[in-house]
Amino acid sequence: MKKVVMGNHAVSWGVMLARAEVIAAYPITPQTQVVEELAKMCGDGRLAARFIKVESEHSAMAACIGASAAGTRTFTATSAQGLLLMHEVLHWAAGGRLPVVLADINRAVAPGWSIWTDQNDTLSQRDTGWIQLYCETNQEVLDSTIQAFKLAETVNLPVMIVLDAFFLSHTSEPVDIPDQADVDAFLPRREAQLKLDVDDPHTFGALATPAVYMEMRLRQQEAMDEAHEVLRRVDEEWHQRFGRRYGAIEGYHTEGAEIVLVTSGTVTSTARHVVNECRARGEKVGLVKVRMFRPFPTALLRQQLAGVPQVAVLDRNISPGRSGIFAEELRAALYDLPSEKRPRIDGYIVGLGGRDVTPAVIEECLNRTRVAGPQSAPQREDVWVGVKA
Amino acid sequence: MSQPLIKDLIPREELLDSGHLACPGCGGALAMRLVLKGLGEKTVVSLPACCWTIIAGPWPQSSLHVPLFHTAFETAASTAAGIKAALSVRGDDDTTVLAWAGDGGTFDIGIQALSGAAERNDDILYCCYDNEAYMNTGIQRSSATPWGAWTTTTPAGQPKSHPKKDLLAILAAHGIPYGATACVAYPADLMAKVRKAKTIRGTRFLQILAPCPPGWKTADDETIELGRLAVQSRVFPLLEVEDGERWRFSMEHAGTPVKDYIRRQGRFRHLTEEDVERIQKQVDARWKTLERRVQASADL
Amino acid sequence: MPKPRPTVPHDPNPDIAHGVPPVAVSSTSTRVNRTGSWKYIRPIYQDKVAPCNQGCPVGIDIEGYMNLLREGRLSDAVDLLLRENPLPAVTGRVCYHSCENACNRAHYDEAVSIHAVERLLGDLALESPPAIAPDRNRAETVGVIGSGPAGLACAYHLARLGYGVTVYEAEPEPGGVLRYGIPEYRLPKAVLAGEIERIRRLGVTIRCGVRVGRDLAFSEVEGHDAVFVSTGARQCRPLGVEGGDLRGVLPGLGFLCRVTRGEKPELGRRVVVVGGDSTAIDCARAALRQGAEVTVVYRGERDPQALNWEEIAAAEREGVCFEFLAAPLAAVGDEDVPDVSPLDAVEASFGEAGGAGVKAKVAGLKCVRLKLGEPDAAGRRQATPVGGCDFLVPADSVLVAAGEDAEIGFLPEEVAREAGRVRVHPLGGTSLTAVFAGGDVIDAPHTVADAIGSGKRAAIGIDHFLRQQAGEKLDGQEPAALRFGPQGNVSMARWRGDDPVRRVGPVNDVVTYDMLNTAHFVHAARYPDRQLPADRSRAGFEESNLGLTRQDGLAEAGRCFHCGVCNSCEVCLIFCPDVAITRRSNGGFQISYKYCKGCGVCAAECPRCAMAMTREGL
Repeated sequence: MKKVVMGNHAVSWGVMLARAEVIAAYPITPQTQVVEELAKMCGDGRLAARFIKVESEHSAMAACIGASAAGTRTFTATSAQGLLLMHEVLHWAAGGRLPVVLADINRAVAPGWSIWTDQNDTLSQRDTGWIQLYCETNQEVLDSTIQAFKLAETVNLPVMIVLDAFFLSHTSEPVDIPDQADVDAFLPRREAQLKLDVDDPHTFGALATPAVYMEMRLRQQEAMDEAHEVLRRVDEEWHQRFGRRYGAIEGYHTEGAEIVLVTSGTVTSTARHVVNECRARGEKVGLVKVRMFRPFPTALLRQQLAGVPQVAVLDRNISPGRSGIFAEELRAALYDLPSEKRPRIDGYIVGLGGRDVTPAVIEECLNRTRVAGPQSAPQREDVWVGVKA
Repeated sequence: MSQPLIKDLIPREELLDSGHLACPGCGGALAMRLVLKGLGEKTVVSLPACCWTIIAGPWPQSSLHVPLFHTAFETAASTAAGIKAALSVRGDDDTTVLAWAGDGGTFDIGIQALSGAAERNDDILYCCYDNEAYMNTGIQRSSATPWGAWTTTTPAGQPKSHPKKDLLAILAAHGIPYGATACVAYPADLMAKVRKAKTIRGTRFLQILAPCPPGWKTADDETIELGRLAVQSRVFPLLEVEDGERWRFSMEHAGTPVKDYIRRQGRFRHLTEEDVERIQKQVDARWKTLERRVQASADL
Repeated sequence: MPKPRPTVPHDPNPDIAHGVPPVAVSSTSTRVNRTGSWKYIRPIYQDKVAPCNQGCPVGIDIEGYMNLLREGRLSDAVDLLLRENPLPAVTGRVCYHSCENACNRAHYDEAVSIHAVERLLGDLALESPPAIAPDRNRAETVGVIGSGPAGLACAYHLARLGYGVTVYEAEPEPGGVLRYGIPEYRLPKAVLAGEIERIRRLGVTIRCGVRVGRDLAFSEVEGHDAVFVSTGARQCRPLGVEGGDLRGVLPGLGFLCRVTRGEKPELGRRVVVVGGDSTAIDCARAALRQGAEVTVVYRGERDPQALNWEEIAAAEREGVCFEFLAAPLAAVGDEDVPDVSPLDAVEASFGEAGGAGVKAKVAGLKCVRLKLGEPDAAGRRQATPVGGCDFLVPADSVLVAAGEDAEIGFLPEEVAREAGRVRVHPLGGTSLTAVFAGGDVIDAPHTVADAIGSGKRAAIGIDHFLRQQAGEKLDGQEPAALRFGPQGNVSMARWRGDDPVRRVGPVNDVVTYDMLNTAHFVHAARYPDRQLPADRSRAGFEESNLGLTRQDGLAEAGRCFHCGVCNSCEVCLIFCPDVAITRRSNGGFQISYKYCKGCGVCAAECPRCAMAMTREGL
């Protein structure tokens, strides 16, 4: 059924259709509508879940971990400060191999206080071991939320669904909401192989000495490796059932491109528009949208960008002391390409703290890249665009 | 003279294995042993960072016969709440979810989660085994450390200068259905409280005094005697509070001199006579407060 | 038993093939850790001696039968008691129970009423006699002279050890002081008869009306393979001060003998009894029953802790007056010349004041007050007269109960003696081979219990002697090894090597109150003996102390702390933080040293000091 739905509610619909069993959440702008809608869904019986109204995000993730360890399907949502507060326990979910699903509304991190979008909150959690999927549209948000549970429960790793504050969270778009029965067929009830069970008691998470810790981390990394293929399969199955697919990355007008923009989140939509205009002018400009940031789609990006003369990465984030994070990771991923295939990469910092990334901003990035040309090395790894001097 | 024998009041089944890594004479190990006896096999434990993280045994061992989830320091109560919600949503409302934490993880870093759970009246049994300091990390002070005690962060030159936090009163203020103090030196009383707590729905809290030989600087074999002295001197009275307002003493407290308790312990060795008298006065004053509370409860 | 633990997590994930699972999930128990290697001391179960056992002159395993009663094993308790004491119904009534004075519970609330429990068991044994069959498995015979408590005890033990025993008793009926020295309000004849019958049923022959030295030569008794001399002490000591020869000044024991024979000896209306032991008190109470006003003049002080306090209290209840801390100065007579009266004949028969002259009659006893001085090195306080504190107790009869001497003239010279008593070795042997002695005839406290105890020691001495004579190799059981504690009497069960009580690592140390952990005890009042109301008891010779009902007696036995001996309270097991103590299927406990860390909590908490910490074995 088609419905006009705000991004936050798209999350709620996804969680409801996925039949989450335990939800623990704490309100924070601009996530609040996610949990308010879920509370309503639980209240009127559309969702038979236990909803724990915890007293902080740290407790939200801890409660999800407990519930997940006991074998149920669990969910939480947060943003910025809330995600940061969860940091310790994000590690616990991943290291504990618990398939928790979390929706983060990308919001700039304080100080100064900001409720508007940028990606530092989720990207600063990139080492916690969570799978991260960055969404461009509300449809993608809903679809990805449901897929996230299947992905998580297959590889036993937690999954973060990421959507931009206000540009997605509070923006309504028409969304095709799948039928419950179809979703049930795609995603049956979770049956955990290992769980807290009084009939088969075990201890989970005990002291791991140097003799064994590394192997457990290796298992975790192996699961991340496996996630590439699992995502592909899940994406494929979704396409077969529901006619939509997203992939780990998506190339747009990349054939013969001389410059490829690399984007994520809603910036992608604006970039598509700019690419269309370039192509209309006869300029060979393309776009690669990165959807899955963890595990980093190295192989796919190498495949997509090998031989492309120039790449302009638009980062709505900054790792202080280094550069934009997508740019940094991309540079590392492409480093091992033979030099003649290795693109020149410009990293642009745009839209921090919710500053609008307009077509003009993207055009400026493209211009700087054009002017620089494919041969010279960038003077800085990060070029800030759209800032007042 | 037909007093029930203690051996008839303690269930026989053991849900704790030998070979666990507690120090000799550990009050916390005995506390877990006794509480599990009272709760039985249908129990799931949420265990944050504390001595029991080590006592339980390193991977791949476990000393418990019930499922145990090791969790982050602050999260005993919130993890427990999640576990309970999961069990309940899958149709199991009988299994007890036991949050088992030390005083650090309860009084300090874990108090937020505990307060949250208590305010929501989450259906968990929270047991704090109180050895009155961060013992697992090497005897640092917590807000459960008594006034005047030596710890590594309150050395003899600057011993703990604040009184022990009254956590039971804090939780009573949340209106939880059941809260109590207990002590490993009184196993029958502890057992009765565990059994009672098991039958109640909502947030239940037990603070169990667990003397610690290395942390209190006492001999390994004094654990039980110290527990008795703590209770009988009224330093650690045994109380129950129901629905946050009906207070009751669990037994007669003889009111033996506090110094008999204090002077047994190396962690108080540096105290002067005046210090000990001051502690006696504090204990006496607090006792009067408790008596008034109990009396007021009787009128309810 | 712990539930069997799954050893492999149920994860079909191929990661398991690498050996390390994807998460730290347990697959084994901490029981693989031998934490016992941490300890430098270890606990052991170690039975010790209860102070009551050491304090009992008979040498009874009191704690042992209390423990059996705790288990509800009534007949086993009776059996254990009878292994050491042939006369429990007697001692439960008349013994001064030094066991109770030693009882650790006295420091906690009140001593266990051991005498009442013993009496209960003794009475039960009379009601339903346990089948102790004669077991004559040795050729030798032993002659016992005197059937008082010492002789009866020796005969009983020797019979149980397999010997043929003949007892020679001068009086027409057996029992000695038990029969003629203790009135029925304290020890009914039927009870005594029952106890003696038990001894007869063992095959012991008691020949009454045979006085050795008159009807039978000592040398004939020496025809047995060994002889036990227990003729007692019946020679009453005189008053010892002026006026002892006045008419009406009579030997107390003599008076009692007549009373117990059923006679009603002539007695004045105001009687003074001099002395404070059982004989004196019984004289007083017997005189009371004959209608006299009775005053006892006693050197000792009024002391509820005294060994004979209950007798004094009973006498006072009945109306006997006591002058404590008083000593006689002189008996004073009236100036009238009295008629010759049957009293003369009585006096003459006791060899007093030889016959012919008619003496003045006693009219009163002049006494002096005493005061107790400071305790000496041994803690004894000397009583000295208080100058200027004389007083007169009017009396027309004075019963002198100032102690008795033994008559041992009939013994051969070779039997060494000292101060009128036979000298004996620790196990009753005299200086004459094959001749042993015990009871009041030797230098030991003159009580029924001490007499019974000496009879047992001599039985062991005789058994030891005869076996050696028969060429058996004996391990040289020193008396010390047989004692309950360093100062107790010997144990027959230890001598025989058939102690039915299971002991764990026993040592012969006595447990004192400070060694107990009283935190696990609960205060409970002692059950007082039921007493006849005073006006009924003083009216005749009905038994005045009725003891406890069976239910109360068993409950009283439940107050026993079981000092030094495990009674399976399980405190050790309950408080072990390491779950290292388990129950054995056949009783008792097992410590798993594989896991025990040596913290010592078990031993510290054991309420009765039945454990110890040791470095041995480490």
